[in-house]
Amino acid sequence: MNSFSLSAVPVDLVPLREALRHPGSGGFCSFEGWVRNSNEGREVSGLEYEAYAELALAEGERIVAEAHARYGMLAAHCVHRTGDLRIGDLAVWIGVSAAHRDEAFRACRYIIDEIKHRLPIWKKEHYLSGDTAWVACSHTERAHEHEPPTAPADHGHVHHRDASVPAFSPDYSRQTRLRDVGDAGQAKLAAARVLVIGAGGLGCPVLSYLAGAGVGTLGIVDGDVLDASNLHRQTLYDARDIGQRKVDLAARRIAALNPAVSVHTYAQPLHAGNVAEVFAQYDLVVECTDDMRSRYLGNDAAVLTGTPLILASVYQYEGQLQVVSAKPGEPCLRCLWPDEPAPGVAGSCVESGVLGPVPGVLGTMQAVEALKILLDLPRPAGSALLLVDLLDIGTQRLPIDVSRGCARHGGCAAVAQRALAQAQHDCDVDLIFDSLHDAIAAGYRLVDVREPDEIAAQPLDAPSCCVPSAQLAAACTAELPPGRLLLVCASGRRSAHLARELRGQGRHDVYSLAGGVLALRPLGDRVPAMTKVRGAP
Amino acid sequence: MTTVTLQYYAQLREQAGTGGEQLSTAAATLRELYDELRSRHGFLLASDALKVAVNAQFSDWDRALHEGDTVVFIPPVAGG
Repeated sequence: MNSFSLSAVPVDLVPLREALRHPGSGGFCSFEGWVRNSNEGREVSGLEYEAYAELALAEGERIVAEAHARYGMLAAHCVHRTGDLRIGDLAVWIGVSAAHRDEAFRACRYIIDEIKHRLPIWKKEHYLSGDTAWVACSHTERAHEHEPPTAPADHGHVHHRDASVPAFSPDYSRQTRLRDVGDAGQAKLAAARVLVIGAGGLGCPVLSYLAGAGVGTLGIVDGDVLDASNLHRQTLYDARDIGQRKVDLAARRIAALNPAVSVHTYAQPLHAGNVAEVFAQYDLVVECTDDMRSRYLGNDAAVLTGTPLILASVYQYEGQLQVVSAKPGEPCLRCLWPDEPAPGVAGSCVESGVLGPVPGVLGTMQAVEALKILLDLPRPAGSALLLVDLLDIGTQRLPIDVSRGCARHGGCAAVAQRALAQAQHDCDVDLIFDSLHDAIAAGYRLVDVREPDEIAAQPLDAPSCCVPSAQLAAACTAELPPGRLLLVCASGRRSAHLARELRGQGRHDVYSLAGGVLALRPLGDRVPAMTKVRGAP
Repeated sequence: MTTVTLQYYAQLREQAGTGGEQLSTAAATLRELYDELRSRHGFLLASDALKVAVNAQFSDWDRALHEGDTVVFIPPVAGG
C-alpha cells in the first residue's frame, strides 16, 4: 500500500487504521485535520481543495519516508481530501504505529507539519458573505525543527536528516589535521559510496567509523532482526531494539551519529541476480557477514565490477582479513580458497562462540583498510591474508601468490563469471514448503540428509529415504533415486550445499528445503495447499 | 627426524588444545605431517579444507619438510 493518498470522496478510516497494525507496535497515534468555521477572522461555510496530484503524491510519499528515516516508526499512512468539504469534514488524516509512543507522536507531528508546509495543495475558502478566496496551505510552525539535534529525549531515536535543521555541522578537524588527509581527503570521503554487507559484530564498528569519518553514502545489507545474543558484540544496538530489523536500527543510529551521511538499506541478502548491479553503485564494499555464501558472492561481484572488497571473519579469539583490490593481476578470495567450504567446515559465532571484542577489532581493522583505500593512504605492497590472534596478541601476514590461484583456471574474472553464472542457475535450489506432505503432493521425493541421531530426535512426518550428507556427497549421482529430489536437513544449509554439489555433477532436479526442518510450520498453523508452494530464490 | 614448530589457528587450535607446539617428526612432506597430526589431535578437517604456510609463505601440501620450519595451519572461518 502507498503511504500517501489523495481522496476526492469522504474517507473510511477503519481499514486505514487496521492496515497500520503491526505485532511490534506499542503505540498508535493519529491526527485528523477538520474544516473549521472561520479563518483569520472570516466566517467560512466550506472549502474546496485542489491538488497538483502527481506532485502531491510524490511529495507526500517523500514526507512519510523522511518520517520513517527520522523516527523509525513501524507503519504510517496519510490521506488528504480533495474537492468540496463542509464544516467539520475530515480534510487530512495521518496514522502512525511505532514500537514506542514517542516515535508515534513525533512522526505524526512531523508528517502533518511537512504536509502543510510542502504539499502542492491549495484551498479555496467559501465565506458566509458569499465570496471565495484561494489560500495557500503553507504557513505553519514546524515543531520538529526546534527539537534538540543530538540530545534524545528519553531514548536514542531522534534523528535529523533535514537540510533545514541548522544545529549540527560535522567537525572532521581531528582527521583533516593528518597531513595525508586534509580537506582534499575529506572531500574524497564525502564523495565516497561504501556498501557494508552485514550489520553485525564486524559491521557495527565499520559503520560507526565510516559514518563518523564522513563517508558520504553508506549502504547497509542485512536480512536479520536483532537478537539478545547479538548485544555482546554488536555495539550499535540497545536492549530495547531486540526484534527489530538491523538495517533500520543501523540506519537510525548512523543518522543520529552523523546526519551528513546518506544511508541506503537493503533488508534482504544480496543474491546472484542483483549483486553485481548493487556493487556497481558503490566505490568500495566491506563484507561483514558470517555467511560463506555471501563472501563468495561478494568476491565474484567485486572482481566482475572492479569494486574493492574488504573481507574479514572471526573465530573465538582470532580473525582473518583479506583485501581484494579487484584489479587485474591481483588475487581474490578464490585464489586462496577456490570453493565455498562445506557447511560445518568453517565455524560460526553460533556454533563456536566468540569473544565480543574480537569482531570489534577485526571490524575496526576493516574500517581502517576502507579509509586507507578511499584516502589513497600508504598500504603494504601485494595482497596477503592477515591472521590476527588476540590470545597471543600476534599478527601474521601471509602473501598470496597470484600465480597459484585463479590464474591456473583462466584468471579471477573468468572464474568469477563462471561462479556467478552457476549461482544464478542455482537460484531455484531453495524451495519453501509449509509441510513435507505439500512437497510430496507437488511431486518431490524426500531425502533426509541428517545424521541418524538427529533423525531419531526429530523424525520427519512424511515418507523419506535417509542418506546422511557425508554419504550423499560421496555417492555417485547414478545411485540416487530418480525423479525430483527434495533434500532435507535441520536448517537448510547442508541440504542446499549438497543440492548445489549434485547439480554440479549433472543432477539438475535436486532441490533443498529452505530453512530445513526448523522452518516447517506446526500443524495448526498451516494454510491451504494451493497457496503455499513457492520457490524462494 | 625433523624438528618443526607448529602453529594452529581456529578449529585446529581448539581441537589441539594449544596454539602451537614443537614436534619431532618422521614425516617427509606437509601432507604426511598433517596426517600424523590428525591422528594425534583428532583434527576433523581434511587437509584440502585448509591452507598451510611454511616460514610465512603459503605452500603446497607436497612440499618437503626441513629442519626448523615453522608450519602454520589455517582453516577457513566464517564468524562475523
